[in-house]
Amino acid sequence: MPECQSYGSCGHQWGMTNIQFGFVVFEKCFHCNGLRTYFTKEDTPILGDKYREGDHFWSRVENAQSFRFDLKCNQCNALEKFEDLMGLLHCTGCLPDCEVEILQKKYEGKRTWILVAFGFLPQAKEKPIPPYKLDILTDYFNQRRDTSRSRIKIVPFNLIKDLSLCKGDFIHDVEMLSLEPPQGRKPVF
Amino acid sequence: MTTKDLIEKIELKPLSKFEGREINGVFISDMLSDVMAKAKSGNLWLTVQTHKSIVPAANLVDVSAIIITSGKQVPPETIELANKYSIAILSTDLPIFELVGKLYGLGLGSK
Repeated sequence: MPECQSYGSCGHQWGMTNIQFGFVVFEKCFHCNGLRTYFTKEDTPILGDKYREGDHFWSRVENAQSFRFDLKCNQCNALEKFEDLMGLLHCTGCLPDCEVEILQKKYEGKRTWILVAFGFLPQAKEKPIPPYKLDILTDYFNQRRDTSRSRIKIVPFNLIKDLSLCKGDFIHDVEMLSLEPPQGRKPVF
Repeated sequence: MTTKDLIEKIELKPLSKFEGREINGVFISDMLSDVMAKAKSGNLWLTVQTHKSIVPAANLVDVSAIIITSGKQVPPETIELANKYSIAILSTDLPIFELVGKLYGLGLGSK
């Protein structure tokens, strides 16, 4: 049972806690074309770094300055850990028949904005972030905003029709250390 | 103070379409992660970053406006996305330090 459900009738007012800044690293295997991601507090992971691991030849294709956190209820101290959350992706509407874009269109009129939660790959493909945690994340972002103007809805990444074609943007600090806007991001999948 | 009051008082240039709203403080950072972790709903966000990713970050946190300082040019795709989300993007030629001085003088620093 999730920890938060053991606190009975508390309505939960979530706050961010255990904030750690670091990097989300994207690695690709140029042998099997697999993608994996992980969080590290290492100071400057080197882009292009290559190494072999069994049958895989991993190469770091992108580093994104990011952070991880947990959510804690300010009223009952319930704690939900989000160490499995890699980041939130903003849908760019690249695939008209993608479930995320369909949802986005559906909710746009209600001024509810969709963001896609990603777990770390490849584990998240087998074990996605459970829906109740995405609901908690949705509650957290809505509790701290003026919901009379607009709302946020967090959805799972398995709604994306084809990851290899997705051109969504992670809300990460990729190339943000440059003062010039990057000339379009490389697709990471 | 509202975003519309602020635009008049310190001659900010609105770049996107938005509805005026109350400002409840100021947050300064050029990192999205920092903004997502620490900025509060209703804050003004001061930055020199102009990449379109600033818009979903600002929307997620529900800032009252993004102020692009130091006369940085904002790409059209960033403004287009801001229009979609009704996120106020304002620009000024002032560097952040001078802008902060003016905002503090208007009483925003005490919130």
